[in-house]
Amino acid sequence: MEILKISKNDFKSFIGKKLEQNHSRTVGVVRRGPHFVFADLNSSDELCLDYDVTILPPRKYFQPPKEVLLKFVPKKADSYRAVNECDPITVIGIHYYDLAALYLMDRAFSEGERDEHYMKKRENSLLIGVYPTKHFKYRFARSVTKDQGRKVADMMLVHIGDDLVIEVLTKKGKEYLNGANTVRNDYSMKEIEDAKNIIKDDQKIPVPIELVPEYLARNHNHPVWNHFGEKCFSCGSCVLVCPTCYCFDVRDEVELNLAEGRRIRTWDGCMLEGFARVADGHNFRGKRGARLRHRIFRKGKTLPEKYGYFGCVGCGRCADSCTADIAGPVKILKYMEENK
Amino acid sequence: MCENCGCTEEIQQNSIYLPEVATLKKKKPMTTVDTFFEFELKDRSLGHLPGQFAEVSIPGIGEAPISISSPPSEDERFQMVIRKVGSVTTAIHQLEVGDTVGIRGPFGTSVPMNNLKGKNLLFITGGLGLVPARSAILYALEHRDDYKDVTILFGCKDPGQRLFTDEIEEWKKRDDIVFHESVDRVEGHDWKGNVGVITTLLPKVSARINPLETYVIIVGPPVMYKYVIMGLHDLEFSDDHIIVSLERRMKCGVGKCGHCQMDNIYVCQDGPVFYYDDIKHLKEAI
Repeated sequence: MEILKISKNDFKSFIGKKLEQNHSRTVGVVRRGPHFVFADLNSSDELCLDYDVTILPPRKYFQPPKEVLLKFVPKKADSYRAVNECDPITVIGIHYYDLAALYLMDRAFSEGERDEHYMKKRENSLLIGVYPTKHFKYRFARSVTKDQGRKVADMMLVHIGDDLVIEVLTKKGKEYLNGANTVRNDYSMKEIEDAKNIIKDDQKIPVPIELVPEYLARNHNHPVWNHFGEKCFSCGSCVLVCPTCYCFDVRDEVELNLAEGRRIRTWDGCMLEGFARVADGHNFRGKRGARLRHRIFRKGKTLPEKYGYFGCVGCGRCADSCTADIAGPVKILKYMEENK
Repeated sequence: MCENCGCTEEIQQNSIYLPEVATLKKKKPMTTVDTFFEFELKDRSLGHLPGQFAEVSIPGIGEAPISISSPPSEDERFQMVIRKVGSVTTAIHQLEVGDTVGIRGPFGTSVPMNNLKGKNLLFITGGLGLVPARSAILYALEHRDDYKDVTILFGCKDPGQRLFTDEIEEWKKRDDIVFHESVDRVEGHDWKGNVGVITTLLPKVSARINPLETYVIIVGPPVMYKYVIMGLHDLEFSDDHIIVSLERRMKCGVGKCGHCQMDNIYVCQDGPVFYYDDIKHLKEAI
């Protein structure tokens, strides 16, 4: 791994140059009122690498809220045509936990039946990560992630004073930096590691992650599911903002002219009432408590058992977005611990 | 669309969501809401095994998982019985012979017919459960010498819900299989047969069934499994001799969309056919 250094001003000019050259679609973290979002960059002045959390994770660029899978002429089955929108994209300013989530999604969409619609978008992307420099009161990422986010990042940025230390992780990342005013890094490894870890999470899950699958299995019938479940509005905010909730629905849309149509994939979530309902109306998870349990089991048991990494990356968005204040895994596990 | 990376051909080759075309060859109503369909793929057989399903779609309406009802075959044709319950199945019912649908699949696990060779088979089917079970039943009848006793139990809500009535008459006449059926209620129907839920048929066959040498294949509505398995336990069946096919919302068929997940299992890939012994510990299974 090559470690470089660039002044924050030079980095900004460099991104500005990239935007002028129209290198590829470039998105980054920008401010929206008191919040931050990933959005298309119009100028490098908009880019904010010093933020707490974005409203939505960058997942939206690889699994868009609504994406076209197929086009067709209505009622003509021989007209099905697969399509994709995978123009090259550069995403700047992804925190390590959102990268960890993309690592998990890459595993989910590439293993078993390979989902080319997602994978091609990922192949055509360049990811620039950054270590957080601001607190977010719901974040507990340190207690549930390892270094898996670095496996998908092309480079990681570390804030040190007026500089950014750049850990170049891939050839693609190296090539992207051509023309940047980088110099040899002269910070010590300790200075870099300290800067990466400058933000301590306010929260952590009360059970070591490697024990969570078994812990949940033992607590399938714990009162927490119904106790919290009965407060749930089934609004789906928690799954909508989640960087590892990749479940989806597929449906057809037809143009008003009735001559063209498309099969689209949209975000869906297991906390929504009809998620497990089958054709005759039977709902396999009709109770809110059962849906809450399913969501937590999926993050804490199913995905870890399948991929070897915790299925929640600790971003805290679900806890922040939940109207009833019941969605956060930390809160749920703490309640279980306190009510054994 | 994507103009920079030239992926148009690539996605056409590699999309797991792109259906093949099949043509409707035969259509025959079975009940007021269930219709028999025979489809033909363009230039290959579906290549399915008993108990598997396929995604059937109509462009502009959508896609739905449907059980395959015909036995494995090298022919391009395959059969389904589809209940009119949602928008896709209603649209399929409106098709005429010669119309086309999209097909993806086959998907999922199958009844392990090879492992059951030399054993007695007991099929316990409820309502639409006869549709996927028929694939295994017809396979067993085509390979009759491979299996010992074959017993089929079929139950449905009322005589008007009976499926494959012509075939059932044939099965009743055969002396190399035993067939019993029952209906839950008879109001308004001329019915001389058994009345009662499916488990009331078990005593009729219990005397001639050796649970050590018999494998049971259960396919029916969610409510049926618990009671049938309790009945089988009374007959001293062990759980590794019980095979079940579970229904879930199998939207994508390729283990991604999450709708069919129960506990840590994706029913569309790890199922729908399971040994009961393998899933009985799962809290959400039955």
